[in-house]
Amino acid sequence: MDAIDSVVDPLREFAKDSVRLVKRCHKPDRKEFSKVALRTAIGFVVMGFVGFFVKLIFIPINNIIVGSG
Amino acid sequence: MAGGFRVLHLVRPFLAFLPEVQSADRKIPFREKVIYTVISLFIFLVCSQLPLYGIHSTTGADPFYWMRVILASNRGTVMELGITPIVTSGMVMQLLVGSKIIEVDNSVREDRALLNGAQKLLGILIAIGEAVAYVLSGMYGSVSQLGTGNAILIILQLFFAGIIVICLDELLQKGYGLGSGISLFIATNICENIIWKAFSPTTINSGRGAEFEGAVIALFHLLITRTDKVRALREAFYRQNLPNVTNLLATVLVFLIVIYFQGFRVVLPVRSKNARGQQGSYPIKLFYTSNMPIILHSALITNLYFISQLLYRRYSGNFLVNLIGKWKESEYSGHSVPVGGLAYYVTAPSSLADVLANPFHALFYVVFMLSACALFSKTWIEVSGSSAKDVAKQLKEQQMVMPGHRESNLQKELNRYIPTAAAFGGVCIGALTVLADFMGAIGSGTGILLAVTIIYQYFETFEKERATELGFFGF
Repeated sequence: MDAIDSVVDPLREFAKDSVRLVKRCHKPDRKEFSKVALRTAIGFVVMGFVGFFVKLIFIPINNIIVGSG
Repeated sequence: MAGGFRVLHLVRPFLAFLPEVQSADRKIPFREKVIYTVISLFIFLVCSQLPLYGIHSTTGADPFYWMRVILASNRGTVMELGITPIVTSGMVMQLLVGSKIIEVDNSVREDRALLNGAQKLLGILIAIGEAVAYVLSGMYGSVSQLGTGNAILIILQLFFAGIIVICLDELLQKGYGLGSGISLFIATNICENIIWKAFSPTTINSGRGAEFEGAVIALFHLLITRTDKVRALREAFYRQNLPNVTNLLATVLVFLIVIYFQGFRVVLPVRSKNARGQQGSYPIKLFYTSNMPIILHSALITNLYFISQLLYRRYSGNFLVNLIGKWKESEYSGHSVPVGGLAYYVTAPSSLADVLANPFHALFYVVFMLSACALFSKTWIEVSGSSAKDVAKQLKEQQMVMPGHRESNLQKELNRYIPTAAAFGGVCIGALTVLADFMGAIGSGTGILLAVTIIYQYFETFEKERATELGFFGF
């Protein structure tokens, strides 16, 4: 039972600390969330399509290179 | 330790030989930074698509399949090693310095130069080592098939690619670009992977005939060509073994959740002791260590997989080897999947059906994931110099105090938040990854988390740069 306590007590303490931390946290409101989500989505899509098109362009190029190899 | 032997001095003779990017000797305008960043990215992307010359085949089992997206590595191309050399050397140096094995005084210019040189040298050595290991392990066909000439040629190609990545990252770090090259390459690779899986025009033959790989393309194709719209819709949403629309929606959902949690932070008020008591704030984010727990966890798993597959291929009958992991060729994609042992239990279940079939596997995976992330996160703040003690020291150096607290209590106050933010943040990161993997998000939970946190950081950097630039030019 002591063995279980030595595991459970730190976990309980950790859980308590975590809850306190979350309560203390400033949380993003709708406006802030929307702004960040939009920006990150744009960044995501831009980066993704840059890579996408480079890959698309290189498929035929690679077929030529490897084909002649 | 004045006059004592110092490990860093071993690096001094090599400094002259290491390729180095000159520090920016002037203020680089924001526009130029963007250009340098974009050029670096293109160089990286092109290298990721250039096939290696001289390889016999790439049909052998790929031990790194699971982590390629995260390591920004592409099979059979010049960028086979990806950012592995530079990330590994960075981590190793961080651990050595953090644990005081290597002593560094950051206020001494020479020490900083030697440390950078050591890290670069280590990166180069790792690149060589990995290139040799790749060739000798038969990744490109056995050495006898390749011939000595081609083998050396392949090693040289991989080595120079490693040098290119190291130099590109240094270019960006030295002030010519925005952020770090590592983050940029990882994020782009992940985003590309997700977009590709959504819009790929390539066709793959499965049991139902030729199908488009891209989930969105397949959706429209099925709706147009099938007479039975309902069944077409169901197939587009739930098809197996290829990206489907549900995967895409899960990806979007994880994306939004991560962004929401990014905004969580405890804002501690701080005040300058001089400058007329200027007020400010020091935010402690819930994701205090950002994506570092995921990177460390991925590095750990990658090494486990690599070692396990090597051993299994040679000693598949051995009990201990089977305990570490048992592997089987997947029918569809041609890469090996773990089917037993430790490697299996630390792998995300591939679907909800898989969870129900083996609940212990799912439970073990979840507990391991959360524990590992919390542990890595907590450890990382110590070795990376962002613990409560380190932060308190920084604030003191900047002549900052917290209103209502004596200076000696600053560290104590920070201690109430930072360790908990690190550990709990790590748990949240782990939980999000698990959630994403269970839902079958494209790019894996790990990848999405990395991409979102990196892009988020980029926008923070972007804002900061633009704020300082607005006084000079309008962008």
